[in-house]
Amino acid sequence: MGLRDVLFGRKKLAAPARERLFALTTAAVTLDTELGLKPAGVGAICFKPLSAGDFARAASDVEQLLDSIAAESGSKLERRDDTFGYSWVIVRDPQLEDQVTTVHAVAQGLAEQGFGEQLLAAIFKFDGGTNPVYFVYGYKRGAFWPFVPTGKDQERDNAEELELKAKLEGELPIEPDLSRWLALFDAPL
Amino acid sequence: MKRKAYGRDAGLTLRMIFTGGMLGLLYVVFAVVLFQVLNVGLVPMLVIIIGLAFFQYYTSDKLALAASGAKVVERDEAPELHAMVERLCAMADLPKPRIAIVPTDVPNAFATGRNPKHAAVAVTAGLWRRLEPKEIEGVLAHELSHVANRDVLVMTVASFFAMLAGMLTRFGLYAGMWGGGGNRDNNNNVPVWLIVFVVSILTYLISWILIRTISRYREYAADRGSAIITGAPEHLMSALQKISSEMFRIPQRDLREVQAMNAFFIIPASVKHATAELFMDHPPLEKRLAALEQIAREMGRPV
Repeated sequence: MGLRDVLFGRKKLAAPARERLFALTTAAVTLDTELGLKPAGVGAICFKPLSAGDFARAASDVEQLLDSIAAESGSKLERRDDTFGYSWVIVRDPQLEDQVTTVHAVAQGLAEQGFGEQLLAAIFKFDGGTNPVYFVYGYKRGAFWPFVPTGKDQERDNAEELELKAKLEGELPIEPDLSRWLALFDAPL
Repeated sequence: MKRKAYGRDAGLTLRMIFTGGMLGLLYVVFAVVLFQVLNVGLVPMLVIIIGLAFFQYYTSDKLALAASGAKVVERDEAPELHAMVERLCAMADLPKPRIAIVPTDVPNAFATGRNPKHAAVAVTAGLWRRLEPKEIEGVLAHELSHVANRDVLVMTVASFFAMLAGMLTRFGLYAGMWGGGGNRDNNNNVPVWLIVFVVSILTYLISWILIRTISRYREYAADRGSAIITGAPEHLMSALQKISSEMFRIPQRDLREVQAMNAFFIIPASVKHATAELFMDHPPLEKRLAALEQIAREMGRPV
């Protein structure tokens, strides 16, 4: 955020940071061997659709893009809109690498059509602990953070999350600012 | 493909430069006159003003929250509000601010805090109750844009010398009353306190108008920010319409209670038709709607 933005107000959303999504595949080894957490076979990417104009025109392209990615990767893709007005593409694939690759391809496709700024987050699910563990990747930050909902109403297990942060800091770009650890309680996966 | 920036309003940017420049020029003239005529006593006064400005700047969040009677709420008290703000923050690349609720039925919202890390966003219970979720999102995005644009900092800097001028005006008044003229050195000259008094009063009046003008421009900028974050300016438009029409219906007693908070609110609580636009800290509703409509058109969205 530069002086220009302060003086005249922001005119654009921040562009996505340099993508570091693939770091998760190496961290997954540690998650498995040290913590017994295994990929649950589902990930998703979340973005904010824009207007009826530009975006609607691109929407049909997005459908095409999803079809071609699905055909190429063998992942199962599903598109869903949530109550907050965000769109989700849910990726089902037993292999974490394929999930990550597919999510990357969707993000890439959206960015190529000029909607990189609309990308919010990607999320990957892991099983094996007391609660399911999610790793959220923030596109604006270019970093991951853990998200462990306890299953009770809107409650997250902060102790577990901080432990995961400590364990994975060496291998995964973890968002250092805790106030940016967005919760995604209603993620449709 | 690179997408163009929406709401790129060259006119607004120019007007901001012009007003900022005028204010800067005014302050320079003011400072020069002060140093010319008033060699002593200026330093302690500057120290006091700087101290005051810093105090205001550093406690802006606590002051505003306390003045409005807002109560900071945790996630379990308002889970939907928290979830909404979190997503907007992630979209706007901001850290999550504290979230507060003002227990009043007047639908409104404000943001405060000297920087994004110390920010707080407050909504009134009435806003949460009366508006649709998408409209609330538009309002919250407007407040978060104030945070992103560092409006507390901008307004503190803009009003710094106005504070000094205001103080000198009062000072000059006392000097005039008790100093008996203060023209001991030279009987032919205009007394020093009178020059200071007149210059200060002029500075204060002109800067007051300029500051309000800047405040109005910041509102347009925050409206634009909201449109960009939510990608849907029409929800903010309907929210603004709803809020302002609700405002008219509320009895005057309620309005006076919240009057001190006007500069922070998304829509000022008292709506006086007679007031000229020049003296208002918020632009008129029609102009805000027109600006948002323009952004909507740029986004290719029918309104």
